[in-house]
Amino acid sequence: MVQFNEESREIAVKVVYYGPALSGKTTNLQALFQKIDGKVRGRLMTLDTKDDRTLFFDMMPVFFKTRAGVKVKLKLYTVPGQVMHESTRRIVLQGSDAVAFVADSRRSEAASTVAYWRNMLANLEANGLDYRTLPLVVQANKRDLPDACGEEELANLLAEVQAPVEPAVAIRGEGVVETLHTLLQLCYRSLDRTFGLESNWQITEREFLGQIFSHVDLRGTRLPSEAEAR
Amino acid sequence: MSLSASFLNQRLPLADLLDLRSFAEVCHSFAELYRVGLKVFDEAGNKLVDVKVGNADFCGYIWSKPLGREGCIATVGRVKSDPVGEESEPTVIHCFSGCRYVVQPILYEGDVMGRVVFGPFVPEDAPDIPTTLKSIAEDFDEKSARLFQAKIRQVPMGTAEKILKHFMDLLDVMIFTGHKNLIAAKLHIEAVQESYRELQDKNAKLEDSYQKLKELDRLKSNFLATMSHELRTPLTSVIGYSEMMLEGLGGPLTAEQREYLGIIMEKGENLLQLITSILDISKIEAGRVRLVLSEVEPAVLMRDAVATLLPLARKKGLKVSCEPGSLPRVVADRDKLRQCLVNLCSNAVKFTPAGGSVTVRGETLVGDRLAMHVADTGIGISAEHLSKVFDVFYQVDGSSTREYGGAGLGLAIVKSFVEAHGGEVKAESVPNGGSTFTLILPLRPAGAPAVQAAPPAAVSG
Repeated sequence: MVQFNEESREIAVKVVYYGPALSGKTTNLQALFQKIDGKVRGRLMTLDTKDDRTLFFDMMPVFFKTRAGVKVKLKLYTVPGQVMHESTRRIVLQGSDAVAFVADSRRSEAASTVAYWRNMLANLEANGLDYRTLPLVVQANKRDLPDACGEEELANLLAEVQAPVEPAVAIRGEGVVETLHTLLQLCYRSLDRTFGLESNWQITEREFLGQIFSHVDLRGTRLPSEAEAR
Repeated sequence: MSLSASFLNQRLPLADLLDLRSFAEVCHSFAELYRVGLKVFDEAGNKLVDVKVGNADFCGYIWSKPLGREGCIATVGRVKSDPVGEESEPTVIHCFSGCRYVVQPILYEGDVMGRVVFGPFVPEDAPDIPTTLKSIAEDFDEKSARLFQAKIRQVPMGTAEKILKHFMDLLDVMIFTGHKNLIAAKLHIEAVQESYRELQDKNAKLEDSYQKLKELDRLKSNFLATMSHELRTPLTSVIGYSEMMLEGLGGPLTAEQREYLGIIMEKGENLLQLITSILDISKIEAGRVRLVLSEVEPAVLMRDAVATLLPLARKKGLKVSCEPGSLPRVVADRDKLRQCLVNLCSNAVKFTPAGGSVTVRGETLVGDRLAMHVADTGIGISAEHLSKVFDVFYQVDGSSTREYGGAGLGLAIVKSFVEAHGGEVKAESVPNGGSTFTLILPLRPAGAPAVQAAPPAAVSG
């Protein structure tokens, strides 16, 4: 749940990358870490205990101040993908404002993807979140692999999940920024509808996205330069 | 399902992110290295670390003068509370004594977590005693003040800022590491709590369904007991009247009528036996088995059981042998023990094809026990089924088109009866090679609860 602090004029937004083990959630965050200017983001915190992998998730903060003096903090999280970390997934998902579901596009991973999609819906429900209203983007990752499913199958997926689908090759940084952009756009609109970001906090969609993406290396992405939005 | 609020969504104060004891050590060694004092405050203004280097005499002297004390308090107040920007730029604060402080906000993830105060130090460009200090008292002793001031390190402003920058880099790593450790530890705890909660939920659900199943099982047993009792009553009449007719009480019969009546009686008795088994099982399940104990010759029972099955075995073309050996007498329920042996022999005959053999053998065991083996050369039982054959209603071939009849009660009854005697049953088998079932009985079933429940009068020579 987004946190508004009227007194310190702060908004904290939580974005979670969800998906099966090895689908590329951490790779997404690592790519973003490379592409986002160090001035607006903190360190990428990776919690992995190499030997037993008891805990495994990543966190990266992104922050900026709007022209109206409101501090906006985005916290990007990944959930642990392994099946056994069910409770950690549920805890990390708690209070999310937007979720990116990172799916492995390979046909061989379809069953596991569907299982995790359902698992996510169950965990969202357990956290009192409704996937029909929650900003949600599906990232079809690993598009470069030979077994990746075709465009038609992606279109079917789109119809099935009722969420925007972004193709990506996260390991090369492709589609990673687009996924975040689509997700944050949905997220802004959802928060604006519920909390009046523009009317109460004087933050327009253009500024919200511009403040972040003007600090992102957009080379090689499908996004137009955000420089003019500053 | 409800999740308690996760700490992940809470803002953490600086003191939680640092191990204050080791942080203070770092600050001390840092301050000693550069010979300049160091203070660290959190966002709320709480002093976390305070290291004084060289300024004790100088500040102590100023503090001894009333005006000096006032000025001192004002400076300390500014150092501690003057607003700092959210940029990582340091602020220089001038003390009326001529000393300087550099104040640096501690920024972490875009938040101001507190401030580091570096100083007091004497700026290299203005080392003199300023008039603002001289005027704090008429008796101000400039000579002593100069001596005290000399103990405070002179630092060029540029160097001070560089030193501070270095310290801030260190601090940032310490905060990040502390934050990471804190998150790891707390998340671990939350994950364990969450898993525990989930397990408890599941346990409660399992317990619930277990109770429901237990209740259903009880109802089933009751139903079986009632039904078998109700079925037995009319069946007794069917058998009784058939018998009367066979005896000619209803007038003379033709040979055909006699044959038909014989079949009716035989099948009726089969049915009665089956119903009796069901009643036995219901009683066993309800814990209502009572043993009527007496001294029994096991050899007699074994021969008796073999004799019962002999006609059927001969008809199937089986070789039957009985080798009781010299078994001692046992105290047992004669009828139940006989039924056990008959059930085992009946199975042996049923599952052994023509040309095979069935052997009933006795054996005296150590520890006042004896064993009775019923071995056959029949179809055998695979290992997967072997562990379940003593379960109620269990059939190795559960299909409706199975080759062998039976209700799946025989072995369950054997097991219950033998266990009621304080004995045990064992089964060994080689698929397609035959099976051996063994009853092991104590010579006297002491301590068996069912025996204690039996009236003592029943135990007789």
